[in-house]
Amino acid sequence: MNSGVKRTSPYKVITLIILVILAILFAFPLYWIVTGAFKTAASINATTPDWFPKEWVMDNFNKLFSRQTAPLWELAIPFGSKFSADGNPIVFSAGPVVPASIRWLVNTVFMAVMAMVLTCITSAMAGYALAKKRFKGRTMLFTLIVCAMALPKQVILIPLLREMSSLSLYNTIWAVIFPTVGWPFGVFLMKQFSEGVPGEMLEAARIDGAGEAKTFVEIVVPMIKPGIGALAIFTFINSWNDYFMQLIMLSSTSRLTISLGIAKLQAENSTDFGLIMAGATLAAVPIIVVFVAFQKYFTQGIAMGAVKG
Amino acid sequence: MAKSSNTTSRSKALVRRETCSAYLFLLPNLVFFVGFVIIPMVLCVYTSFFDSTMGKDAKDIFIGLENYVNLWKDEIFLRSLKNTFIIVLVSVPVVCIFSLWVSSAIYNLKGSALSAFRCIFYLPVVTGSVAVTVVWKWMFNNYYGIFNYIGQAFGLIDKNINWLGDERFALWCIILILFTTSVGQPIVLYVSALGNVDTSLVEASQVDGANHFQLFWKIKWPLIMPTTLYILVITTINSFQCFALIQLLTSGGPNHSTDTVMYYIYYTAFKLYRYGYANAMGVVLAIFIAVLSAVQFKLAKEK
Amino acid sequence: MKKTMKKLFAMGLSLTMVLSLAACGSKEAPAQEQPATEEPAQTESAPAEAEAEAPAEDAAESASDLSASITLWTYPIGNWGNSETVDGLIASFNQKYPGITVTVEYLDYTNGDDQVNTAIEGGQAPDIVMEGPERLVANWGARGLMVDLSELFATEAGGEIYDSVEAACKAANGAYYEYPLCMVAHCMAINQNMFEAADAMQYLDAETHTWTTENFLKAVQAVYDSGQQNVGAIYCSGQGGDQGTRALINNLYSGTFTDAEHTKYTADSEANIKALEALYAQDGINFDASINGGEEITLFRNGTLAMSFCWNAAQQTNSDNAAAGTTNNGDTILPMLFPSDDGKTELCGGIWGFGVFDNGDQAKIDAAKTFIDFICNDPDQVNESVKASTYFPVRPTLTGIYDGMETADTMNTFSEHFMPSMGDYYQVVPGWAEARTAWWNMLQRIGTGGDVATEVGAFVTEANAAAGAN
Repeated sequence: MNSGVKRTSPYKVITLIILVILAILFAFPLYWIVTGAFKTAASINATTPDWFPKEWVMDNFNKLFSRQTAPLWELAIPFGSKFSADGNPIVFSAGPVVPASIRWLVNTVFMAVMAMVLTCITSAMAGYALAKKRFKGRTMLFTLIVCAMALPKQVILIPLLREMSSLSLYNTIWAVIFPTVGWPFGVFLMKQFSEGVPGEMLEAARIDGAGEAKTFVEIVVPMIKPGIGALAIFTFINSWNDYFMQLIMLSSTSRLTISLGIAKLQAENSTDFGLIMAGATLAAVPIIVVFVAFQKYFTQGIAMGAVKG
Repeated sequence: MAKSSNTTSRSKALVRRETCSAYLFLLPNLVFFVGFVIIPMVLCVYTSFFDSTMGKDAKDIFIGLENYVNLWKDEIFLRSLKNTFIIVLVSVPVVCIFSLWVSSAIYNLKGSALSAFRCIFYLPVVTGSVAVTVVWKWMFNNYYGIFNYIGQAFGLIDKNINWLGDERFALWCIILILFTTSVGQPIVLYVSALGNVDTSLVEASQVDGANHFQLFWKIKWPLIMPTTLYILVITTINSFQCFALIQLLTSGGPNHSTDTVMYYIYYTAFKLYRYGYANAMGVVLAIFIAVLSAVQFKLAKEK
Repeated sequence: MKKTMKKLFAMGLSLTMVLSLAACGSKEAPAQEQPATEEPAQTESAPAEAEAEAPAEDAAESASDLSASITLWTYPIGNWGNSETVDGLIASFNQKYPGITVTVEYLDYTNGDDQVNTAIEGGQAPDIVMEGPERLVANWGARGLMVDLSELFATEAGGEIYDSVEAACKAANGAYYEYPLCMVAHCMAINQNMFEAADAMQYLDAETHTWTTENFLKAVQAVYDSGQQNVGAIYCSGQGGDQGTRALINNLYSGTFTDAEHTKYTADSEANIKALEALYAQDGINFDASINGGEEITLFRNGTLAMSFCWNAAQQTNSDNAAAGTTNNGDTILPMLFPSDDGKTELCGGIWGFGVFDNGDQAKIDAAKTFIDFICNDPDQVNESVKASTYFPVRPTLTGIYDGMETADTMNTFSEHFMPSMGDYYQVVPGWAEARTAWWNMLQRIGTGGDVATEVGAFVTEANAAAGAN
């Protein structure tokens, strides 16, 4: 730290200036979204850009919130129609009726959290088994996982759509969550982490008479926690941004995610930039607030994971 | 004799037990992996041998390898394959180098400055690809976009450039946006990895008279290697997933110059209704990526 | 560190728990796709009254036992894309048929087709979709996904529908896959103030809204010379507004898009090639692959462009951003017919109506037909339904729909000067969906300097291949 202050070489000054310029470029889209959301229609459509809103108005948000409505919360039970008496899907809904855009946010949070939790649990278990157990088919399974790891979901677009249709999962949030959970990157990552768990510790636990489940929960999980953190953040962000699966699998207005909702707003109202910006603000601000508030944990969580991997 | 048969039977029992417990641990994940990745993939391969389209009376006609043969005659497919690899081959190294450069410039800044920079570079990641794309679309606008405005104001260009409507620029615009939404995570990772480099090692080599360059290559680089590998993997995955940008900005145009295989599959399926053909494309892409991943993994393991 | 991760996890978990508890807490909420279930309960007394008032009406009686939940997906056809208006229309439907719940989804022209297509593959196609014959008849109908609606044409109201409109709703196999509600002739528009400033009004007849090809090109040149860099844009990024570019190109030198029997594409004729070459060479007209029809309208409204090729009556009466018939800064918008060399412009029509997807549930199909019958044929309802579209009725007997409204004058202008020029509705030619996609690609290739004759030839080959494939 001290040496940095002492030797302010011209190289460092130039670097810092470039960094500041880059930072402005990176922050600009978000700045433009948020200010645009509060601009008047005239200001936002001005041919010469208004760098700062001359007057702050809520028109765009009013318009956004006066569109369609939906109950705050709705949950479709996966495979519900297979069990229900009348063959209709089982759907619970609750909460006050709110603007659909709020509902999109709720859907997105549910989707991302659910995908994150399921992925972390299943991947940690599978990764541990792959790393520490010797069993038939292990090599084959691992090869399969490595090969499928970077596979874009577009590849299986049509079969997946048909499968979701036959499972009656199409147009439910589960159709987006399940393929995300099945994506093998998590297992790969968890396997790499579990390799680091010393075999002697597992052996010791076994000799102490700890069962498989107990060994996993009490010995393995604490040791691979940083990895789980990295995976959690990766999955959360990825599924939040996974526009493609959402686009393919969801169609009812009340079941959209916020990304899809904004894309729809844009397609419907390409004339109304202010409205789109209001929607984008609604999408971006909550997650950014969470990010800034938890920045320390967020960044350390990812980093710890990678260092050990 | 008795003893040895005893041990083999016991180890057999052990092996069986271990296999059992392994599969129990694997089961929850395998349900999803097999159910929503492997089975669709198998169906994908199967349908790729058929001429299949949408419609009630549409019969799937077995045509063997015809879809695959046609693929190599399809200029748009070849072009989209090329675009896909351009995107990956450009964005992965650029993202890695850029984020390493930024990180080494900021990792020893004071706490608040560091977190401010880290935060700003992470912003496009958390803003969400759709929201970001919407603004970029405006910035690239042919008539009143900010790039043209600034370019004209500073006299860099004399006529508005149709960034997204011009074959020469459109793909690079996409790569630029992809780049801004990709560097956040690598920077966070590198900052932390560089911060964790043992200072005693660094000081020792400084005493030995190592210059900046040597310090970096000999001491830091090997230590941050695992981070680099992780970043390579996630950036590659991200670059292959690049779909929203294309769908929202250019729809693959102009003249298919921004088509990637991922977008072209979607396009073939839902705009041209050629399901079998789209699946064949998927299979080809899957093979490419699987080989690439396997090679990447092998190389990483050797290191 | 471990603690913080634990915290994050705990947060995520507890959030999920709370949410799922909230969901379980309301198990009494009925298992319905949409929360619209309360409505029928509230209006339960309504049918009894209705029947008491008009016991002789068979329709009401048979309808009263109809109970189904159907979905309606609409494209933004005037205010049929606006939830307030559509909710009103459905409310009046539910007064008569309280047992039928209609859930509406609003599509857009950018992603709408993909959305319907994925829903079809996802096994949840809508029951009713509102669009035109090019989608309902030529695409989904031709693929055997739609229900024949000929019984609706057999009604009294159905018999009144213009023959040309009826013909457009009829598939090659004789089945009707669309029941039309409204129509319009697509046209173009100019920014009158810019034309006046460029002294270009001399090239057109503002009274009859007509001009010749020669004068059109002169006018564009004049506006360009007056300093307006972008006069018009041949938008070609994709989806939506294709009728505008087609009509412009076809009319310039009287080319055709398909043959008279609607079996194959003829866009590669001399006349069309000449038109495309003239447009490409013309100063002020850009082939712009970065915008679509909707964006072109935006640019026209905000004064960036001096003319729009994607215009119609609904655009002229639209007052979302500025007073009807003016641009955002108050310039006058003058709707125009597409220029033509022989003085006989053929406008491209839009015929919008309803189609019913065959989802294998007869109760839903019946309910869907009941809905269409009510919306399009019920004498007390149809005026409102058409008014919601901001277009024109498809039956000569429906008159004076817009009387007394602010937009009446504009609508009269359109029915007097534009509707009579409505040309052949050729959009039902097979392979339409693929051809439309190929059309954009062709314009993009020409825009980037491709040889016109070659590219048009390639388009026709591709389109005809699609036509033959179906």
